[in-house]
Amino acid sequence: MEDAALEALLARVSLGDQAALRAIYEQDGARLFGTALGILRDRAAAADAVQDAFLRLWQRAGQFDPARGTARTWIGSVVRHAALDLARARGREQPTDDPALGDRAVAPDALDRLAASADGMRLRDCLQALDVQHRGFIVLAFVHGLTHSQVAARLGLPLGTVKTWIRRGLMQLRACMT
Amino acid sequence: MSGTGLLPEAEREALAADYVLGLLDARGAALAADAMQDDPALAAAVAEWERLLAPLAVLAPSEAPPAGLWERIEQRIAPGRAGAPVAVRPSWRTRLLAGWAVGATVAAGVLAAMLAGQGSPAPVMTVLVSDRTQPAWTATVAPGGGLLLAAFPPVSGAPEQPLAADRVLQLWGLPQGATMPTSLGLLPPGQRSVAIPVPALRPVAGMLIEISLEPPGGSVLGRPSGPVLFIGRLSQPGPPF
Repeated sequence: MEDAALEALLARVSLGDQAALRAIYEQDGARLFGTALGILRDRAAAADAVQDAFLRLWQRAGQFDPARGTARTWIGSVVRHAALDLARARGREQPTDDPALGDRAVAPDALDRLAASADGMRLRDCLQALDVQHRGFIVLAFVHGLTHSQVAARLGLPLGTVKTWIRRGLMQLRACMT
Repeated sequence: MSGTGLLPEAEREALAADYVLGLLDARGAALAADAMQDDPALAAAVAEWERLLAPLAVLAPSEAPPAGLWERIEQRIAPGRAGAPVAVRPSWRTRLLAGWAVGATVAAGVLAAMLAGQGSPAPVMTVLVSDRTQPAWTATVAPGGGLLLAAFPPVSGAPEQPLAADRVLQLWGLPQGATMPTSLGLLPPGQRSVAIPVPALRPVAGMLIEISLEPPGGSVLGRPSGPVLFIGRLSQPGPPF
């Protein structure tokens, strides 16, 4: 959906317009459910997360600040954090060798899918400039909600090494993007 | 983003990145979310990381949500269940307003008494108080819709704190129901009375008026980036007692 349209819908939601919330759900629901599913890898849990996220949108739409980013990014982050909160509440019990993650895990070539937008292309270029493992970590954490220790187990590396890498990778990424 | 913040920049950046990536545990994430309410620099750093990493969301394939999910959401937000949206104000605003309620009632009463008997209807005005509930400025809506600001004389014996040379005062208006204030301009340094002939927002009763401390040229964020020093809500004082 056009970002201006999403922004207008958010403004209506902040005034208590339920139809506007429904319009966001109908037009953006599949993207948002996909985001929650990437983190929770369980349809029932992802549905709970999307429900939590829409309650947050209903209560907090007025906090959206267009000066800080697009409506699409803001709504996406509300859903991601609702899914992360649920994953934390469930103790993140998903094993890192979860076969479902194996099927769904993002292949590094998938980064080319980022090239659909200008911002995405820049992010892809900066990610590709990183060490392949730094890059993999950032993608796994963002898309699948993996913690430091889950990534450490998955890559067979000491926890301290992973923590150092993520910090270094993020700072390099930041320097490349700005 | 740098400058005013509750954390050193490197720590703020690291915390913001870890929060956005979802690496913090439950307690850490809750603390970070709380801290964002009080620390605009942290909130801005989080928003910046969200913006930088947002394109990664396309890597999670879209998938149709299960049937009936909207109906579940609708039940939770139905009138009488969840209530109307809550506009959550940043907590510094809440704290200042709590002090304002006490300090301003007294001061407004005094001013209303002063203004009464002048033969004209009581103007829409407010007393801008600091977080120590000391009145510092009055803001009065002029008949033409402008805004007049006047500083209270300093309390006798108490030295007035001079403004740092590299800081300016910026005036903001927050209409009732809005969540983001609008800049009404910078206050010329050293002046004790200021007239703003045509403010960016029409000042009306119910609007919050704030003065924040900002770097030269004012906030670049479109909202206060430094501390809000004075705050008050415009109202039309009733007849005194």
